Amino acid sequence: MTTSLKQSKTLVIDDFQSMRSMLKGFLKDMGVTETDSAANAREALALLAANRYDIVICDYNLGQGKNGQQILEEARYRNYIGYSTIWVMVTAEKTMDMFMGAAETKPDDYLLKPITEGMLESRLNKLIEKKQLLEPIEIAVKSKDYTRAIALCDGQLKQHSPSTQELQRIKSDLLIAVGDFPAAEAFFKNILATRNIPWAKTGLGKVYFLNKDFSRAKEIFQGVLDESKMYLEAADWLSKTLDALGDLEQAQSVLAKAMELSPNVAARQQNLADVAYKNGALDLAHSSYEKAIKLGEHSVHKNSNTYAGLARVLTAKDDPKEALIVLERSRVEFKDDPEAALQTAVIEGLAYQKMGQPEKASAALAMAEDLMRSQPVNINPATTVDMANALFELGQKDKACGLLEHMVKNNHENAGIIKMVAATFENAGMGEEGSELIKKSSEEVININNRGVILAKEGKYEEGIKFIRQALGNMPNNDLMIMNLCGMIIGLMSENGKDNQLILEAKELLDRVRVINPANQKYNAYMNILNQLSSPA
Amino acid sequence: MEQEDINFSDFIASSIHDMKNSLNIQIGFLEELMAECRGKVDGAMLSQLGHTIYEASRMNVNLIQILSLYKLGKSIYPIDIAEQSVKEVLEEVVLQNQSIMEYKGITVSVVCDEDCYWYFDRDLIMGILVNALNNAYNYTTDKIRITARINNSLLEMRVEDNGKGYPENLLLESVTEKKGISFFTGSTGLGFYFSSQVAGMHRNAGKQGSLLLENGGMYGGGCFVLTLP
Repeated sequence: MTTSLKQSKTLVIDDFQSMRSMLKGFLKDMGVTETDSAANAREALALLAANRYDIVICDYNLGQGKNGQQILEEARYRNYIGYSTIWVMVTAEKTMDMFMGAAETKPDDYLLKPITEGMLESRLNKLIEKKQLLEPIEIAVKSKDYTRAIALCDGQLKQHSPSTQELQRIKSDLLIAVGDFPAAEAFFKNILATRNIPWAKTGLGKVYFLNKDFSRAKEIFQGVLDESKMYLEAADWLSKTLDALGDLEQAQSVLAKAMELSPNVAARQQNLADVAYKNGALDLAHSSYEKAIKLGEHSVHKNSNTYAGLARVLTAKDDPKEALIVLERSRVEFKDDPEAALQTAVIEGLAYQKMGQPEKASAALAMAEDLMRSQPVNINPATTVDMANALFELGQKDKACGLLEHMVKNNHENAGIIKMVAATFENAGMGEEGSELIKKSSEEVININNRGVILAKEGKYEEGIKFIRQALGNMPNNDLMIMNLCGMIIGLMSENGKDNQLILEAKELLDRVRVINPANQKYNAYMNILNQLSSPA
Repeated sequence: MEQEDINFSDFIASSIHDMKNSLNIQIGFLEELMAECRGKVDGAMLSQLGHTIYEASRMNVNLIQILSLYKLGKSIYPIDIAEQSVKEVLEEVVLQNQSIMEYKGITVSVVCDEDCYWYFDRDLIMGILVNALNNAYNYTTDKIRITARINNSLLEMRVEDNGKGYPENLLLESVTEKKGISFFTGSTGLGFYFSSQVAGMHRNAGKQGSLLLENGGMYGGGCFVLTLP
């Protein structure tokens, strides 16, 4: 981390030669000796890959190709920059796309043109100061010691500073991340008591949403939008909430309105397409997926779901030939991505089925089954449902049931997914058998789990661990089961002393839960114990 | 017909955006030129250069205001009301206009408590203050003072100068967005319109922001007063 502006290694990214030389001149006057410059994304990423910069000053609008935000996202994704890098985005005007997008990666600051040397110097110095202030918190977060990170935030929040709002945001994100919803709710309410601020109110709504209190969440998000209709993060959450409440039509209309205000955000466009498809608005879904593909063209975050979605819509619109062309594009574009390969194979099966070519459909699905076996963790539920549908249509009932059974066992506490499974059975005209199977599979999981709990209570940790480990082979994504295994490992170590191998296993289990269910309530408590165990006494 | 009007204003907006880019580069180079000329050329030339920069930056301020008003009108301006360190904001406004002031021999001072924090859209409020500072530049003799303090749960920001004060016909009662267009004779009134719109957009607890022009203050000259709830 840089401690002084003069010693910083800096990079200037701007497509105008005159702007580059001006900014370089400013930096030189400030006493900065190491400054590189790039005229476009390609040059910038090559430099970022080869050097470790302390400060990057990047123009948002770079003409053709990637924009500044997309360079930032790619640099972060490829680890070219660390948390300590200061990224300043320069822009001639504030646009909705830039400020009300759905981006998770944000620059440290925005600078509005015209930029004067004095202003730039003052901002950079303040950013260096701020980075230093926030560094210990970031280190705690990196080592997954969230409890300490929260305590550090509290310490710094005792005094009001220019970083107060940022600290409040970090702290509230952490409270949500560790699943401490009551504390997060109280924290947001406390902020809102002094001032009605959109981000805090949206945060409160998020807590309700994660607590599955959808009607309250809806009211809050709607309130934010009534007061500040340009705060589009609330629109994104409102549509998610409406979706959860089953009001797809409203969810679609909320997103469509947000797209009018800020038309170039790929992630939101994709969400609109997904909702429209679910809603049966095939034409809108069609055009939205196409737009989303176009918008994501230069983004490191582009994903095969968009192509899969488009192919799905085309198949539903009786144009399976076009769907196959889209899938072929996806295959080329994401050739090293196993999830994309799986999705492509499944929808190909559906498309061939529609074309009246059951042999080709069977071949595609056989390939999908192979792919599924080789990557059992974290398969997109939509892909599984697609696959089950295709198998039912091909008359491969047993395989379809097996697939859905697996899905139930991995997600027996997830009401949304259980509902999807039930609907799939219903579509296949097997509603009754389906609900029987769901009931049986859930019970099986509960029984296994209960047995594990009893063994743990009796102090037979080793036996319990062996038992659950084995059961997990059959349902690798069941977070309840994973957490119980983790608890037993900790229990065993509390009796027999610490064991590095077991700590490693438990941490890997927790990492898995983090992906499957980020809101798992036990995650933080277990992580704390493991961190204490693994730190040298 | 209406469709054409909409397209035309979109067209103007994108042209303004383009002009702004050129102007920004121009201002940047003029600033550099100014720094290079320091100590090399005579005072008259420097102040001429200073005036050139002033005119260019005034143009830039106007373009930003038009563009912002266009976007605010279409609800596509990303308003971001967040807590700000008021002192930092005031100091940045001064920094942005430093070279202009220096070469007219105007000293600008900032009076604000370190621990003064308030909620507003940083860029929009800076736009108002830069505009006020540009006006004071015209009216002052050689001193400008920017102050801020919290009074009765309101943030009061003042730009005061030591000139002769505003003429009687310009003095204004508290103005919010509802009233107020074309006040300044000989000027388009854009700056004031922008300022009143933006002030009025800042609302909290049933109150809204307002503007006031008066004479007096610390130096007995013109005072521009912005109050935010």
